[in-house]
Amino acid sequence: MTERHTGDVALEAIDLSRHFTARGEGGFFGAKKQVRAVDRASISLRSGEVLAVVGESGSGKSVLARMLARIVTPTSGEIKIYGESIDLTKRRELSYASEVQLVLQDPFAAVNPVRRVRYAIERPLLLHGTNKADVAAKANEVLESVSLTPPEQYLDRYPHELSGGQLQRINIARGLSVNPGILLADEPISMLDVSVRLGVLNLLRELCDNRHLAIMYITHDIASARYIADETVVMYAGQVVERARQTTVIDAPVHPYTQLLVSSVPNPENLSHQNTSATSTTVSINFNYDGCRFSPRCPHATDLCHTNEPPNVDVDENHSVRCWLAASDEQRRAVTISSRATSPAN
Amino acid sequence: MSSSTRILDVKNFYVAYGYGEDAVQAVTDVSFTLEKGHVLGVAGESGSGKSTLVYGLTRLLRAPGVITGGDVTLRLQSPDGERDFDMLAASDADIRAVRWSHVSIVMQSALNALNPMRKIGKEFDEVLRTHDPKSTKAQRRERSEELLGLVKLAPDRLQRFPHELSGGQRQRVMIAMALALQPELVIMDEPTTALDVVTQREIVSELHDLREKLGFALIFITHDLSLLVELADDIMVMYAGRIVERAPALDLYRAPRHPYTLGLMDSFPPLQGERQVMTGIPGTPPNLKNLPTGCAFHPRCPYAMDRCRTEEPELMSLDNGERLVACWLHDPSSSAAVPVALRHSPHGDQQEQS
Repeated sequence: MTERHTGDVALEAIDLSRHFTARGEGGFFGAKKQVRAVDRASISLRSGEVLAVVGESGSGKSVLARMLARIVTPTSGEIKIYGESIDLTKRRELSYASEVQLVLQDPFAAVNPVRRVRYAIERPLLLHGTNKADVAAKANEVLESVSLTPPEQYLDRYPHELSGGQLQRINIARGLSVNPGILLADEPISMLDVSVRLGVLNLLRELCDNRHLAIMYITHDIASARYIADETVVMYAGQVVERARQTTVIDAPVHPYTQLLVSSVPNPENLSHQNTSATSTTVSINFNYDGCRFSPRCPHATDLCHTNEPPNVDVDENHSVRCWLAASDEQRRAVTISSRATSPAN
Repeated sequence: MSSSTRILDVKNFYVAYGYGEDAVQAVTDVSFTLEKGHVLGVAGESGSGKSTLVYGLTRLLRAPGVITGGDVTLRLQSPDGERDFDMLAASDADIRAVRWSHVSIVMQSALNALNPMRKIGKEFDEVLRTHDPKSTKAQRRERSEELLGLVKLAPDRLQRFPHELSGGQRQRVMIAMALALQPELVIMDEPTTALDVVTQREIVSELHDLREKLGFALIFITHDLSLLVELADDIMVMYAGRIVERAPALDLYRAPRHPYTLGLMDSFPPLQGERQVMTGIPGTPPNLKNLPTGCAFHPRCPYAMDRCRTEEPELMSLDNGERLVACWLHDPSSSAAVPVALRHSPHGDQQEQS
């Protein structure tokens, strides 16, 4: 395995898409239609950094993580690991799995309820080529790395004997047991009790700093993204709509959707929250794939937004947004008059 | 606070799951009152007894849940005056008459609360017909549409099945149904937990308007303290089945007195300011089958004293009676120095967290 340096790109998704076929109106006999769960999303995870992916349910963030873990095959696009392109038509190799690990949302569903914790920890070790003789010692070490001490106290217990927070630590430990360079965490704290959430978040941050792990932290909780992330990406309807380093996305959002998201979070420091002008979620599925996905809900939407997909615009070197509002006049002019004339298919 | 504005009075309420030696005490010695038109927020983690409390109050508890003690008095408003109604002593028939028309409840999962085989309109029709059998179908339909309008849903939703609506729309339907008979008290158990923040914001601001318009009192249960600070007049924090603190919402937020409240607030990263490492609450939530002796929070409390390990603290009154706290730190007889983080005045500057 290559040596990890903080800041190096570990895993990269380039224009990654996944489309699903769904039945349209009319039930079984209805016409099939394409649902673009993830549409040309590009992200990069860097060693020693946490990338937070924020979005509401259905925004495609989990599908993106599953594609990166190669559980779901992308429809199109490219995945690069440490700069090397992966052949997505082939089956996932064991070496890929030992480099990229996925931690799931529900800790209770992720471990076998009739097996002891020892089994959950040791099995991936055996599968990934640890000697039988070393497995027990290694299992202890792995549990200690997620602050479950003493390990003997946990190894012979069953999952139902542990709390959600402890189980989630075991899931993380299991992911780490094969010494991956990249950890994909899909909503790792949303099912946990509020008082233990921070403990798990702090653990992720610590692992990231000490082992130079590249972590993808998927969440719908913006405040937790702000707390942990080096870079934050906002997804809406399968697309990355805004990205920035550090806390910029939350502190100075540019995209109207991000603004809506940030202003919707309960914030006792700012009780006089302005009534947000973007409208309800009911229309969100009826967008036009040629235009901006958010335009049906956007208070600033113009005709251009309904018919033409917005370009990716750099606000500054560490901040980019996919929105016509931020686009330069040049980018607007590049859109031909004829394509503007097509009416939005609601 | 004259007693005539009081709508709900709960005294020494106890709920257990199971009988005899195996019984697990889920709600212990809870007393509180609610004024007309007020919003009471109940905060706590899973297992703190917050849902069990309201199911007990409304007699919706299922076996093996048993109410083992206490008094619950509801003040009913009817055209011919007000009267007190004893929730725990009432017969099932009386309770049925009171439910929905005086107290209604909105559950966490709207998908489970609605019959998947029935259109929304049918559910409304049933509620209205049961209450007023003489009404005509057209009247009931008109009222249903009016109710949907209250929660900003189009009348055509009445023709839909629950699975055709989004999570937010279903929760709105539940709220509209809860308001159908204009109850004085509405109880909501984590109504927005399963929704995304944008929908949560819309529903909370609608609730705000509805309350202003209709004037019902509200008990709102959630684990999200910051949401409660926005919505509630008073907040009650529960831990291991007991009330550990109760105070006006802003006072509680600005100056928590109980270490658990402080820890709970320190568990939510802020949306502004410098990023700094926060600790949350160490340890794990208590096992109700095997509660620690003394104060149930002491194994996780950074300020625990010897006394906390053996003696159970009672709720004591602070801040001129505006606040109740169950913590030995604030008891004069413990002669303990109150930690700085728990000492701030609610009306002073913003408190700094340790």
